[in-house]
Amino acid sequence: MTQRRDFLKLGAAAAGASLTGGTLVSAAELKQGGEDFSPLSGAERTAVPTTCWQCVSRCPVIGYVEGGRLAKIGGQPASIRTEGLLCAKAQGGVNQVHDPDRLLYPFKRVGKRGSGQWKRISWDEALDELTAHLGKLREDGHPEKFMFHYGRMKASSSKLIKSVFLAGYGTKTIGNHTSICEGGKWTAQELTWGSHYDNWDFDHTRYVLNFGSNCLEAHTNHTSVAHRLVRALADRRVKMVTFDVRLSNTAAKSDQWVPVRSGTDGAVALAMCQVVVEKGLYRGKGEEFLKFCKFTAAPQASQKEKLDALKAHLASYTPEWAEKISGVPAETIRTIAVEFASSYPAVVISYRGAVAHYNGNDTERAIQMLAALTGNIDNPGGRCKAVGAKWKYPKFPGNKPKAKKLKIVDGFPGQAKLPTHHISHQVLKMIKDGSAGRPDVYMWYCYQPVYSNGDVAENIEILKDEKLIPYTVCVTPFYDESAALADLILPDATYLERWDWEDMVSPNQVAEYYIRQPVTPPPGEVRDFADVCCDLAKRMGFPLGVDSKEEFVAKSCELTHGVKEAGGFAYMKSHGVWHDPAAKPKYHSFGKVLKPEALAANGVIFDPATGVYWNWRKSKAKSADEAKSKGYAHTKNGYKGYVGQQIGDAVYSGFKPDKVNKSGYFELYSTIMEEKGLPALPTYVAIPEHQAMKDNELVLTTYKVAAQVHSRTQNCKWLSEIYHRNPAWVNPQSASRLGVSDGDPISVKSPAGVLETRVQVTPAVAPGTIAISMHCGHWEYGRYASGKRAETGSQDVPGEVIWWTDNGAHPNWIIPNRADPTNGQQRWMDTVVQVSKR
Amino acid sequence: MDQSKAPPQESRRAFLKGLSASATLAAAVAVRPAAAATRTVQYGMLIDTRRCIGCHACSVACKAEFDVPLGNTRSWVEYVEKGEYPNVSRNFLPRLCNHCSEPNCVDVCPTGATFKRAEDGIVVVDPERCIGCKYCVQACPYDARFINPVTGAADKCDFCLHRVSRGIAPACVETCIGRARIFGDLNDPNSEIAKKIATNPVSVLRPGMGTEPNVYYIAADHSDEQERRRGSYVRVTTHRKEKERR
Ligand code: SF4
Ligand code: SF4
Ligand code: SF4
Repeated sequence: MTQRRDFLKLGAAAAGASLTGGTLVSAAELKQGGEDFSPLSGAERTAVPTTCWQCVSRCPVIGYVEGGRLAKIGGQPASIRTEGLLCAKAQGGVNQVHDPDRLLYPFKRVGKRGSGQWKRISWDEALDELTAHLGKLREDGHPEKFMFHYGRMKASSSKLIKSVFLAGYGTKTIGNHTSICEGGKWTAQELTWGSHYDNWDFDHTRYVLNFGSNCLEAHTNHTSVAHRLVRALADRRVKMVTFDVRLSNTAAKSDQWVPVRSGTDGAVALAMCQVVVEKGLYRGKGEEFLKFCKFTAAPQASQKEKLDALKAHLASYTPEWAEKISGVPAETIRTIAVEFASSYPAVVISYRGAVAHYNGNDTERAIQMLAALTGNIDNPGGRCKAVGAKWKYPKFPGNKPKAKKLKIVDGFPGQAKLPTHHISHQVLKMIKDGSAGRPDVYMWYCYQPVYSNGDVAENIEILKDEKLIPYTVCVTPFYDESAALADLILPDATYLERWDWEDMVSPNQVAEYYIRQPVTPPPGEVRDFADVCCDLAKRMGFPLGVDSKEEFVAKSCELTHGVKEAGGFAYMKSHGVWHDPAAKPKYHSFGKVLKPEALAANGVIFDPATGVYWNWRKSKAKSADEAKSKGYAHTKNGYKGYVGQQIGDAVYSGFKPDKVNKSGYFELYSTIMEEKGLPALPTYVAIPEHQAMKDNELVLTTYKVAAQVHSRTQNCKWLSEIYHRNPAWVNPQSASRLGVSDGDPISVKSPAGVLETRVQVTPAVAPGTIAISMHCGHWEYGRYASGKRAETGSQDVPGEVIWWTDNGAHPNWIIPNRADPTNGQQRWMDTVVQVSKR
Repeated sequence: MDQSKAPPQESRRAFLKGLSASATLAAAVAVRPAAAATRTVQYGMLIDTRRCIGCHACSVACKAEFDVPLGNTRSWVEYVEKGEYPNVSRNFLPRLCNHCSEPNCVDVCPTGATFKRAEDGIVVVDPERCIGCKYCVQACPYDARFINPVTGAADKCDFCLHRVSRGIAPACVETCIGRARIFGDLNDPNSEIAKKIATNPVSVLRPGMGTEPNVYYIAADHSDEQERRRGSYVRVTTHRKEKERR
């Protein structure tokens, strides 16, 4: 009972909360946050402004430290994005720091790869070994045989590690994880309006139409978007309709949940477009916007020509046609289309539920079309172009070597025609195949190649094979399923122990600049990998010009306009966030008429085929003549020189391309797709595997829940205590057909394997679908995630009892790695499975 | 954690008191408790479930604020899923101590460790006087209490007294993504909470228990017991070690 005595001494006596008496502050004067106190001693906890990293939203937060220990994470009241609010996941971040299974030292494998036998080594030994491998490849002229594969790497970490270190080293064999995330949505948006990300202006909208987004539980800009959506629904009574195969919490909070057959959202969206055109509901705002849209091959089509093309294309996409495909009654489609089109400003939102399919590319394009036809593009209350911080940062000093690359990050030849964000989930298969070469060193960072991709069993088999990949290096704070297959483990800092500047998109169209700083020092011998890169580069003879990420961030603060004037690094350390108080929200970015000077600049030429003014000097063209003869669309990196779009008599800023040589129009007719043999206008294509399903077959869908972040937070005990098991949801109709009842043990079988789990019979999922969340079923990742301690050592937590034993099942064992044939997106939601009682 | 197959629970006390609705969580338009009128301040909370998205930000904020040991909860969120496909609903019911005006826990405490503060009506536990007898844990009709394994004393939500007394809102209120939780003085007619209660239909949990709760709800879904007894599909998920809900 020593603990109790200590507590009593500290607690009631010292009166963290004096239980009797004490002056009360009027409730009206209570501050909403920004301070925190110890409930035991009453002492104020030290507030350190920093930034979350639990999910990719990267919200500004405040870490509260008590006696040198991180006790709590709270919202940042000065943030214009979160307005001081904070989700469950962010607050569970405290557990990342104190995870008793975390890696504290570098480790080297001693037994066979994957045998779980480890030897602690010093950083010197680790760096010697790594420098020997990497230095040799570089000296031999094969830097491309060093493959670096990251899962999440953003802002300053990305710049310092990728644009400075890896560029200085000379490898372009760099993998990401966008194709298992949202790459398909990004490509579709790049093809239509140039850039990859859309912001939904909930603060000004009057109607929300949702295809497959669960933004109240999980989203790439979660807290900032979720609190605004609730505000719109509750304060302004904005109507929301959600199409989803599953009643997510987002669907549950919508005015209407419309269950839709998996992978058919595109048919519904096209039918809505058909209704809008047939009923003339585009008139007004939609018609005004038509001017900026491309609906035909010709760049200067008249409004009439555009409308005729549109009508002809949409004629067969009637609600009755869509009903047969999607199961959504034609009348429902018609009613919602009319409501949406009559509620300007209205926003149509979408995510993986709609997009992570065989036909996801055109589903997203059809959704873009619906937004365009109603004039809800980059307008207050509509679907807006992303606005985020634009940091300046120190570049690599001197000349970068010409980088080399193994062609293994875009999938097999012909697998996807426009994988603008690569096909990372095919990397291991490509390595196994070997025809495009294999890396000698495969290093992964903030990534879980084993667990996060489909085909888990195959991933393990390939990573284990020392003949396929001679040397594997894992950079991570935690011993997870992938670290278990490394030859060398470098213990990375958690995000609460490192520096960064950050730049995530603002939901209010005003950029927010913010930084991440260590809340507590890294424990043991943990080091931020970016700092390690600075050392490695020095050892290999190409110093990066900065010695640490802290220095990189400090210099960036002094280089970045606005931040610098506000007080630079010192200001950011004490305030955490900055935005320009005079900045106006950015809308209608496409409608600016360019001045003649912009078109007269050196190198700027007109491309008659597209109507684009572009600066050929910024492309790969060697001369003006070459540029003119090849034309804008067919010159490599032509898009980098984009200046403006000729529309009628004026030249507009238009929709600036970001990845592909599209014009400055909002391209619903995509010449780029046409030239690849794909439909130019958004078109519905049925998912082949879904066409002839048998009675015992269901379509598997995966999803995320509010208290977990994909694969990464199950080591957080406060989150796993809330959500740790994930029985498979099956509709009662399907359940009775399959002869299973609630709680039954079941086998779920696909061509990739068999998963054993339990069934939850619930009407909250559409018939024909089986829904399994993606967070559970870890077999490593520490005691809270898997019930198993780390093989690299762990600490005891006296008195703590983990009361749950069921850690759920991981669906990726039975989801094959396949790709949307247009953009390469992993087809998470397409797998046909057979379900039977065990 | 769900109890979809749990049998309907008859509330014996409610039955003995002759209440018609023996629903575990029955709706009632709340009436301001008379006892509170004599107090200068009665802190309370109003949870607008229309704004609640079941995100658990409150649950984890509370967990972190007090480093509540695994297996115990001061603050939690229940999901209530009901209906027949495709007319299905899922409603969220955030839970915490009700800081009752007639608290059963205080009545049964043999040492006076549990008491209701005269200044502001917060029900607190003095761990120095608590002998860990668990009477209060049993007596609370809301399952709000537990024996803290670290201190050995009874524990529960204290409306973040250590924060409120220093001018900061309770941790769960500060973080609430839906801005669903309003904290304040029920006795001050000008407070936001009093105004909202005066202008909205509100309810409390298990009004038949005579506890006079000071946590109010707007649009809370109390119909699950009736629905269950009608044989309709109802699934309550508590997200805590205690699968059963009181
Ligand atoms: S809810 Fe329970 S613990 Fe809280 S005051 Fe009422 S009876 Fe006591
Ligand atoms: S008021 Fe404080 S103690 Fe009570 S539920 Fe909220 S955070 Fe927990
Ligand atoms: S934080 Fe607010 S919105 Fe989220 S579950 Fe709690 S009460 Fe509901």
